[in-house]
This record gives sequence, structure tokens and C-alpha cells, in this order.
Amino acid sequence: MSELNEIVEKINQATDYQTNKRILREKIQTDLHVPYNGGLFKVSPELIAFLTSWSSDELYLEDTYQNPIKIAREEFLTLCCEHYQQVMNAWHDQHEQLKRIRKV
Amino acid sequence: MTNTNNLNVSEKSKGFLLFAYNTAETDYVKIAEQCARLATYTTGLPVSLVTEEGTQTDYPWDNVITKENKLKNYKVGELGAWRNGGRYNAYELTPYDETIVIDADYFVIDKNLLKLLEQDFDYRIMQKNNLPGSHWNLSMGMVGLPYVWATVIIFRKTAKSEMLFDLVKRVQRNYDYYRRLYHMREGNFRNDYAFTIANVLLNGYDLNEDQGIPWNMLTFAGVISSIELHNNLLKIREDKKAYVIPKQDIHVMDKGFLLSKNCQQLVDQLCDA
Repeated sequence: MSELNEIVEKINQATDYQTNKRILREKIQTDLHVPYNGGLFKVSPELIAFLTSWSSDELYLEDTYQNPIKIAREEFLTLCCEHYQQVMNAWHDQHEQLKRIRKV
Repeated sequence: MTNTNNLNVSEKSKGFLLFAYNTAETDYVKIAEQCARLATYTTGLPVSLVTEEGTQTDYPWDNVITKENKLKNYKVGELGAWRNGGRYNAYELTPYDETIVIDADYFVIDKNLLKLLEQDFDYRIMQKNNLPGSHWNLSMGMVGLPYVWATVIIFRKTAKSEMLFDLVKRVQRNYDYYRRLYHMREGNFRNDYAFTIANVLLNGYDLNEDQGIPWNMLTFAGVISSIELHNNLLKIREDKKAYVIPKQDIHVMDKGFLLSKNCQQLVDQLCDA
């Protein structure tokens, strides 16, 4: 095999970290969605902070589909915290793996 | 007071519905079998197949529903022939109260679609698509209407859903008219376009995303050399590129790969077989 062919072969086996990172991030954005009481919410630090700071036990929150959903604050906060931690842990683990992979 | 169940109220049935019509070049039913294995393994839901009379399949489908499909598309040199007509029959043919219609080349590898079944809706369609390494025009015809992807459609048996499928039927039957109306270049019938037109008409020419699935689909449109599962990551090799992605739903358009031994081994691995 010529030197040029070897280089082409290596390029074909190379994988782009930035593309993989972007695909992984999109998957995590999907995973962050959580269904609750007939609504669908994307868990975010802002949502968790809002639920933590809100004073009353019940409230209505706008979901991904722009519907007002009745929320039991404590219950939903617990669900969001657990879900967020689980998804973010998975993101970190998989991102660490991706950083080490330069070819397949 | 005793705790008794109301026997008049049963849980709604849920399941996947696949359409697969073989062509001279491609065994779409075989592709659908792999797709069904994954969908059932991942979600626990049954899968039914819509195909034509006389089709052979050994897979333990929940139901095999036969329906004639005369529409045949061709694209010389690329995909060969494919038969994508009659998707509008999904509403009439589905044995389920809540149905997820997916293309046979859509692999259900994570459980995110199940989250959508917990919402109140008539139907949901995939609206966003990420095609790494490919440059697809994501708007329809010269009018530039952003189109939906009929690769994944979730619907309940409601009046609005029925209207959607009726409209798709109307678009398919009068496709040449709609093709000219929306200034589409492609002559072949596309379900994506038919559902886009029906969805826009049904929602009063509104482009809002109320009926959309709120995340991206991941599509690999190129020729796939191999896909391997390693350390919970999928390693996807195309001719000149490679990707390493998490275990997630993927839409793989390369029929050659879908019929390969490698694809079967991948599905075996993913199903812990």
C-alpha cells in the first residue's frame, strides 16, 4: 500500500470529536425531557432553581407544548433533580469516552 | 367498601405499526423484522406489520395485516425502487388505540418515544432531523415549506387524526396537483411531503410545532460500512467518515447495510441475544 493510500485509510477511520460531541449533546437534550401529569418538561437548572425557590406546594407550569400543567412542587422537584443528575452523569461519562476516541 | 376494578374501562392498547412492501431489489420485510425486534426489546410494545398478500415472514408479529399497494417509486442508481404508498391506511388498519408508525429503517434503541405517549394529543410527527455528513434540503419545493418526517408518527384514534390521514390519502391520490401547487421538483411521491401538506392544511396553514416531536431525529443517509456496539457507544463507519454516538434511536437509510449480516449482529447485540 502506498503512503498516500495509507493516509487516506487513516483519514477514513478518523472520527471528528466535534461532530460526535454535538450528536451526544443533542441526545442528552432529548433525554432531559421528563413526562409529568400529562405534560412534557425539559429539565434545566432554571427549572430546578425555580421549583426550589417557589413557596407554595401547588402551581401551574408551562410545558414543552405550551400547556399549563398542575404541579405538586415537592414531588416534581424530586423527580427533576433525580432525572437531571442521572442524565448529566451519563453525559459526563460518555463525553469522557468520546474525548479519548480519535479513530474507530 | 371493597376495592373493585371497573371492568368497563380497559387500558388503552399501544403498539408499533410498520409498513413493508418488498421490491425486486430489496427485502423490506426482512428489514422490518430487525426493526420490530429492536422496537419490542427496547419498549416492550408489540409490533404489527402491514404488507401485501403472499409475503413470507417468520417473525412473530403481533398482527400481519395485508393491504394492496400499487404505488412504486424509482430512483435509478441510488435507492432502486421503493413502495411507500398507502401510509394513510395506518389510521384504518392499526389494531391499537395508540399507535407509533415508524419506517422500517428506523431503529428504536432508547425509550424516549414512550415519553410522548403520556401526553394528551391527537398526533405527533417528527419535525426536526439531524443528518451528519449530508446536505439535505430541509424545506419543500420552491415555496420553502419546512417539512415533517413521516419516519415517526404517533397518533391516537381521534377525529383530528382521522382527518390528517384522510388528507394524506387525498394528497397521495392527487399528488401531481399538489406537487405543482407547492412547486416541488421531485416527481416521486414522498410521505414526508404528503404529511407536511396535510399537517399544514389541518392546522390552518400554521407552521407552529404543536404537533411536532420536540427533539431531533438522527439520520444517516450515506452508505454505511459498519455499525458496532462498543462500551455502550455505537461506532458508525461510512465510506469516508466515522461517528461515535450514544445508544439512541437512529434512522439508517442504507438498505444494503440494513440487509447485511453486520446489521443482524448489531441487532443481536442490542437485544442481548
